[in-house]
Amino acid sequence: MEAIIPKVPEVLVALASFVVLFALLSKFAFPPVTKMLDERAEKIRESLEKAEETRVEAERLLEEYRVQMAEARTEAAKVIDQGRTVAENMKNEIIAKAREEAEAEKVKAIEAIQAEKTAAMSELQASVADLSVAVAGKIIGQKLSAADHAALIERSIAEVGSLNEK
Amino acid sequence: MENMGHMVEELLHELSVLPLFSEHVGTFTLTNYTFFLLIAFTVTVVFFAVATRRISLVPKGIGNVVEAGVSFVRDGLCVDILGSENGRKYFPFIGTIFFFVLFNNLIGLVPGALPGTGTIGVTVTWGVIVFLVYNTIGIKKNGFFRYMKSFVPSGTPIFLMPLIFLLEIVSHFLRPITLGIRLYANMYAGHIMLGIFTILVAISLEHLSPGSAVTGGLAFAMRIVMHGFEVFVAVLQAYIFSILTTVYINGALHASEH
Repeated sequence: MEAIIPKVPEVLVALASFVVLFALLSKFAFPPVTKMLDERAEKIRESLEKAEETRVEAERLLEEYRVQMAEARTEAAKVIDQGRTVAENMKNEIIAKAREEAEAEKVKAIEAIQAEKTAAMSELQASVADLSVAVAGKIIGQKLSAADHAALIERSIAEVGSLNEK
Repeated sequence: MENMGHMVEELLHELSVLPLFSEHVGTFTLTNYTFFLLIAFTVTVVFFAVATRRISLVPKGIGNVVEAGVSFVRDGLCVDILGSENGRKYFPFIGTIFFFVLFNNLIGLVPGALPGTGTIGVTVTWGVIVFLVYNTIGIKKNGFFRYMKSFVPSGTPIFLMPLIFLLEIVSHFLRPITLGIRLYANMYAGHIMLGIFTILVAISLEHLSPGSAVTGGLAFAMRIVMHGFEVFVAVLQAYIFSILTTVYINGALHASEH
């Protein structure tokens, strides 16, 4: 029974020590600790907010870069297409010009050949006429009158001309 | 066996309140328990004095320990139960209770020492302090008559009101006693148990034989296990005393809502 009855000195010491300890801890010990805990919590909260802001900014930049990249790709494709079209046009122009030049050269060559041919024919006709007269004279052993000459030449020329036409 | 009875008697005598420097316990006598209570007081003051010098934004060593303890009591107990504003307001009182009870309980686990909380005089005194504080808070917050009125729950039939009021008053007056006895009984019983196992080991060593070696070995193992368990009890009882104090304060703060 004695053990469960509080003793006066214990009550006094327990009371005094508690009051003094409460005064000491609440004045000197708890404030710096709770202040540091609050500061740290605030710092962590700020850091988390900053990290979140940075993440959002990074995502925004990434999206911006993605858009820019897409635009750049489109632009590049457009430039390539334009280049291809220009090159195609240039190719066609060059080919057309080459064809024209080749055609002109061909025409020129045909004309030259034709002129050469005409000249050659004229020369040939003259030679053939002379030769025919000479040959005919030798064959028939007589001299032909001027009128015969002319008739003969005309006929030969006509024959040579018909040959040429064939 | 006679020897064991004698040893147990001696143990109970050692665990009773004894004057340290006089024959009888007078008003200002230092007893075996108050002596260790003052040691626990000194250790608590020194611990906080040293620890608060070591706190920094990146804590280390003892700074970590004190911050963990303060954070546990303030955020995990006071703020959780009382809310942010009241939790921070009443933390110094609840924190003092927690750390003082804890240090007293732990000091008692040092071989040869006694817990300051192992005597009812100390624990009931603290229970009475809690009783006075929470009732003062309740009266200041709600006013005397509204606080008294809160002892009778709304909707109670008129003829039952006096009885309920009386029961509530009794239950409130029992709170400091139950707070004190719970803590005292746990600490006292824990020390008796540790003492009994120590006596068993001592007797086994005294009468050494194959049988006593087994008994002694088991008793020694149990002594070690119980010592670890008592560390757990020391922390748990400090927590229980503090959480009940917080709950009482919370009840007083919201008395008019009942």
